[in-house]
Amino acid sequence: MASSPIDIIVFAPLAPLFGVILFWFIQLLFIESQKYLLSKIRPKHEPLCRFTNFLGILFQTTCHALGYTVTKSGISSFYISINYGKVAPKKEKKGIFEWLSNGFLFIGPFFMPASLLLICLYFLMSSGFDTSIPETVIEMEYTFAGQMITFGTNLYTFSEGLFGFLFNIDLLHPAHFGFVLLLIFIGMGIRPSHIGEKKREKVDMLYDLKNIKNNILHKPLYLFILFLMSYLFFYVSLLLKQNWYVSLFSIFGWLSIIAIVSLAVTHIILLLIRTTDEIPGYWKFIPYVVILVSYVVMRLVFFFFPADFTNSTSLLAMILSTILSVILLLKYKTNKLKTKTPMKSLRKRKIEDETDVPRRIIRE
Amino acid sequence: MYQEELLENEQVERVLSPHPLSFMRLQSLCIFLIVWGVLVGWFVNFSEYQEFFFDSFWTVILVWGFGLLLVGVIASLITIRWSIFFLYLGVLAGGIAIMFWMGGQNDAGIFIPFYSVAMSIIGFLIVELYRRSHKYIISNQRIVFRGGVLTKQERTLRYDKVSDINSKQGILGQIFGFGTIIPISQSGFGLGSDSSFAAGGIQVGEKKAKFMGIFGGGREVQTPRARSYYELHGVHPYKDVKKIVERLVQGSVIVPYQQEQVAFQKEQVDIQKQMRDLLKKQTKPDDEETPK
Repeated sequence: MASSPIDIIVFAPLAPLFGVILFWFIQLLFIESQKYLLSKIRPKHEPLCRFTNFLGILFQTTCHALGYTVTKSGISSFYISINYGKVAPKKEKKGIFEWLSNGFLFIGPFFMPASLLLICLYFLMSSGFDTSIPETVIEMEYTFAGQMITFGTNLYTFSEGLFGFLFNIDLLHPAHFGFVLLLIFIGMGIRPSHIGEKKREKVDMLYDLKNIKNNILHKPLYLFILFLMSYLFFYVSLLLKQNWYVSLFSIFGWLSIIAIVSLAVTHIILLLIRTTDEIPGYWKFIPYVVILVSYVVMRLVFFFFPADFTNSTSLLAMILSTILSVILLLKYKTNKLKTKTPMKSLRKRKIEDETDVPRRIIRE
Repeated sequence: MYQEELLENEQVERVLSPHPLSFMRLQSLCIFLIVWGVLVGWFVNFSEYQEFFFDSFWTVILVWGFGLLLVGVIASLITIRWSIFFLYLGVLAGGIAIMFWMGGQNDAGIFIPFYSVAMSIIGFLIVELYRRSHKYIISNQRIVFRGGVLTKQERTLRYDKVSDINSKQGILGQIFGFGTIIPISQSGFGLGSDSSFAAGGIQVGEKKAKFMGIFGGGREVQTPRARSYYELHGVHPYKDVKKIVERLVQGSVIVPYQQEQVAFQKEQVDIQKQMRDLLKKQTKPDDEETPK
């Protein structure tokens, strides 16, 4: 199929860019949802919320400092607490340097924590980092559709590797266990729009987007230069018949996927905390004990009776037993999940009682 | 605090103890012991490097001991407390001795994780005992600091003797709401010093003639520091306690305006005394005459 020159010159470079923006928006939605969950558990888990605040601010401040370092502005002061972080440059640079350091501040926290996980995954995952062009799309590789398909294929390959690794993770392996801890901690930190000490700031997804928009509109020329450089990079890749351009954006896509997975795992933990809060007394700790015990017991069983898929089976057993324990505790220790008499049978009995009245009168 | 220990008009405002996580420096030593013991156990029994340790007791001990002592040296240098190094050395020596005593050299890979966990539990218990020995009593007249597992220590500080208040809160403290308050007395109790020392050596000459010199330099910086028995270590809720202490210290300090007022009142009292004496003198002859 012949591809039009306009498609190649104008539209093709935009394809991976749109893909990254789409994933980034999904990430933003997850962040908002996490923020909502955290605000719900805040009254009972103040230290946890402070901790997540600290992680969020730590990443944000580090990115800001990184921005000043990259632009050679230097760092005169670096302050970080659980509610507030501040980095001051040695030299106040204007123009492109200021714009770049602001870019690091606003966009860095979305990608930097995930890049830490990506480095870990590089050593832990057996496959998924392949960015070669699939043979099926070799003919239309430099069109909008071709670029989109290549981008999507790269993301699919990575996701397949990532989920394969996650579903077969060995929690008794120190490196795997450390990765899970990092995944949870980073998931709590990928949250530039942190919840402050008091619920007064309007720091949410729209606030972040407004900041980014202001940064773009502040110096539109720099955005134009950035686009121009992207296009030039694409043309160089096109001339040399390489997939460098799409590979670069694929890495951003991978980072978004990692961030989304990390946020999803954190969501599960926050939901568990929120649900167990409703269970009274020490019973609320039972699901956490079940997590640990069920996994270890399953692994011990498979150690003495070897079988296939031991890691994933143990993981599944752990998840199911935790869910079951939570449901049982909610049913027997709280007023939740209780139905006295099914509504239908209750209605039936009522009708029967009403029809019985005349008979009783006759009998009497 | 017993009722009979209270002074006249003394009222207890707060009785405090350090937060369970305020001794994290000590607890982290135990945590490391567990982590490293379990890691060595995993390496020896389950990892792909298990062949390296196969049937070699001293290799296992060497790896375990090297990790323990390396961290011990680093932690000792950072905190300037060699007790950490000797503690890890003791744990290592104890482990080796028990293994030889029980004849379990062949099962070092299984023994080390269990031994590490057992030692860590003992460590946690000792830290907890040490934490619970602390008791800070804040009354309207003074602060009483008490502590000590075997030897009981006590410090009493009156608010009018407090010249300065230093407070600090680490990240863990900020998260869990605890912090340390050091009231510095006028005598300087509550102040420590950070000292650094640099030395260099030089050797010049061939086999016969040798010249050697050592140059050194030291520097000392005063910093608020006290033993946990003599400071309000890791108290919770930090902000409230800080406010109470500051209010009580402020309440016992006489500001310049109040000093002027006191001087003026003293002057007034003196005048009144003089007037009373004069009046007495004037009325005395009449009193003497009356009985006559």
